[in-house]
Amino acid sequence: MKGLGRHLATALRLHFRNRMALIYGYLFPLIFLAAFWVLFRHEPVPLLRHAGELLTIGVLGGACFGLPTTMVGERERGLWRRYRLTPVPAWALVASTVVARYLLLVSAGALQLAVALALGMTAPAHPLALAAAFTMVAFAFIGLGLVIAMMADNVPAVQALGQCIFLPMLIIGGVAVPLASLPPWAQRLSAFFPGRYAVEALQAAVSGGGLGTVRFSLAALGVIGAAGCVTGARLFRWDAAQRFAGRHQLAWLLPVLGAWCAVGLLAESRGHVSVAPGAVVDVPPSPWEQLTPDDTAALDFHVPRDDGVVAPIARDGDEPDDYLVAQLDDARRRLPAWPPGLVRDPVQRVRNLLCVAAVADVAQQPAENYLPRIVLVRLLDNYPKATLVKILTWIAQHPGEGTMIDDISDIGVPARAEDPGMVRDRVYLYAIKFVARLTGSPVRQ
Amino acid sequence: MPPVIAVRQLSKNYGEIAAVRDVGFDVAPGEIFGLLGPNGAGKTTTIECLTGLREADTGELTICGLDGRRQRNEVKQRLGVALQSTALPDTITPREALRLFGAFYRRHAGADELLERFDLVDRAGARYHTLSGGERQRLALALAFVNRPEAVLLDEPTAGLDPKARHELRGQIARMKTGGCAVLLTTHDLDEAGELCDRVAIIDHGRIVATGAPRELVARPAALQSVVLLTAPPLAAETVARLPGVSDLACDGGTARFRTSDAAATLAALADCLATQGGEIVDLHVRKATLTEIFLELTGDGNRKESGERAP
Repeated sequence: MKGLGRHLATALRLHFRNRMALIYGYLFPLIFLAAFWVLFRHEPVPLLRHAGELLTIGVLGGACFGLPTTMVGERERGLWRRYRLTPVPAWALVASTVVARYLLLVSAGALQLAVALALGMTAPAHPLALAAAFTMVAFAFIGLGLVIAMMADNVPAVQALGQCIFLPMLIIGGVAVPLASLPPWAQRLSAFFPGRYAVEALQAAVSGGGLGTVRFSLAALGVIGAAGCVTGARLFRWDAAQRFAGRHQLAWLLPVLGAWCAVGLLAESRGHVSVAPGAVVDVPPSPWEQLTPDDTAALDFHVPRDDGVVAPIARDGDEPDDYLVAQLDDARRRLPAWPPGLVRDPVQRVRNLLCVAAVADVAQQPAENYLPRIVLVRLLDNYPKATLVKILTWIAQHPGEGTMIDDISDIGVPARAEDPGMVRDRVYLYAIKFVARLTGSPVRQ
Repeated sequence: MPPVIAVRQLSKNYGEIAAVRDVGFDVAPGEIFGLLGPNGAGKTTTIECLTGLREADTGELTICGLDGRRQRNEVKQRLGVALQSTALPDTITPREALRLFGAFYRRHAGADELLERFDLVDRAGARYHTLSGGERQRLALALAFVNRPEAVLLDEPTAGLDPKARHELRGQIARMKTGGCAVLLTTHDLDEAGELCDRVAIIDHGRIVATGAPRELVARPAALQSVVLLTAPPLAAETVARLPGVSDLACDGGTARFRTSDAAATLAALADCLATQGGEIVDLHVRKATLTEIFLELTGDGNRKESGERAP
């Protein structure tokens, strides 16, 4: 035991001295996290719906690339051959290597979660279940990693074999691309990949109903992991001179392939395959997302005329005076990077952009007629029309909610509103007017 | 005193190739025993069978009084091994490596003690990839001693080292036997064998063709002696060739070089011949055979193909 403890501690210490291993083990999952954060920036709670996917990517990379790269690299150097001269049995050294990898995966996963929380994700709903699900996912993928380590004769072969598993799992296995967005054939195929079950188990622990709702996924991970460990043990090689080539060795891949197929067929037969869009994650939609066209139609469309003094909007053919053109161009250029127009909460973001038009109106800024048109274009750049209508409807329904902005000089328009209440009124009016424009609803003056 | 290592009728085949055939030898406590042979002769296979890296087909291996084939784990506790090449992780330090491998054994030497013994104290915290070839090989030897072994197997420990590192390492190996440790080393460096080994076995085509102390081998009756002879006037080559025991004759100007299996008889006949023909000896050197000459005589000068040395 003392020897294994020392081996485990040494493996961890050497890992942290390896710069490339740190990049692959820690930075790589964070790059995915950042990409997801940007990609799904409009979601109400950042990254919450994708925590399962992100953690799965981290484990998949660490187990299917990190573990076999370490083992094959050491075998190529002759280190395992040297270990063989000691009294420590092979299973003990492999177990120690696997435990070291598991601890590294846990630390990388914890880092991912910490960064996600810092970016605004809410805490996992079932932390203990998350730990258990993470362990099962790690078990399944470490089993695959062991098979890769025993099949690959050298480190480049690890990369080739690892990519054969990694990329399909990301793209059609439900790991990086949400299942609901995949065509039906890909959704059916994904049932044969462990990545799908990993995402389901982790997501259920983060934002779903806990492990009780994903028993099948956990069992699938267990079967796939066990098959990988059995095959890895049977194909174990101490020496790089022993090649993976024999027919009897290929036969030992059958348990792994059999486990994948059995899990996929069972999922098919038990109806786990037909996944409705959104069913993978159990995050309640935001209230504004539940608004219907009837709610929009029920708004009070009694608003001042566009060419009046309250909440004006220039007609489509109207052109600003020459002295305003430069100011409006400046505002149009600055608006996409304007921080209040980039906040994560979509309702507040739209409200902030409406404030641009509202403050200019309250301050009777010469550009007041033209700024609303720029704001509407910016809003449509941010959201699909149907989504924007819902958000605007929500703002119009709840005029007292949220915060108001009273100064828009940082977009190049020197305007400041003394009365926040008036800004709130104008925001309401512009919300109604924009809804009317987007839906074609007639306004009544 | 019973031998620490006893090998009897060891055989190992790789398919059709017989790598080792009926090899047998003993290594006593405190003895350095050298296994000499050309590349592919079966040295490394013999070592690998003793360490358990390969399973012998037939034969008995007794190591430290234990059955080397059945009590493998117990043998490993008492056996130290330095392979031809041991590459450790790039970033491990000698101290960490010694602590790691030491922890695998019931009985082990302290890292500091081994660092001092193998002259690695100054490099104890250096990363492996920064060590020189000599330092790496000293570390490999230190690892072989990490379990305070009763027997040590060294497979070509000085191969590929520069002369200075080789000299230092030989000093380390020579000191190994002082504690009563039995050392079995393979080499094809005959100077090294002559300098280090108490006894050697010459192995060729998987068979041991001669065994004994280096001095005994060069002094054995069958060993040919070398003669360089200059006479005035020069003797005809045919005359020299007719002298008893002469072989490998080469004449260059007035100098004749040859080997003889019976120097006394050759020189007596030479004296008679010169007396008859009226010549005189200007220069004469008679030299015992070197270990190299014995080695070449017994093994031929061709190296085996590597396929015989390592498994396919």
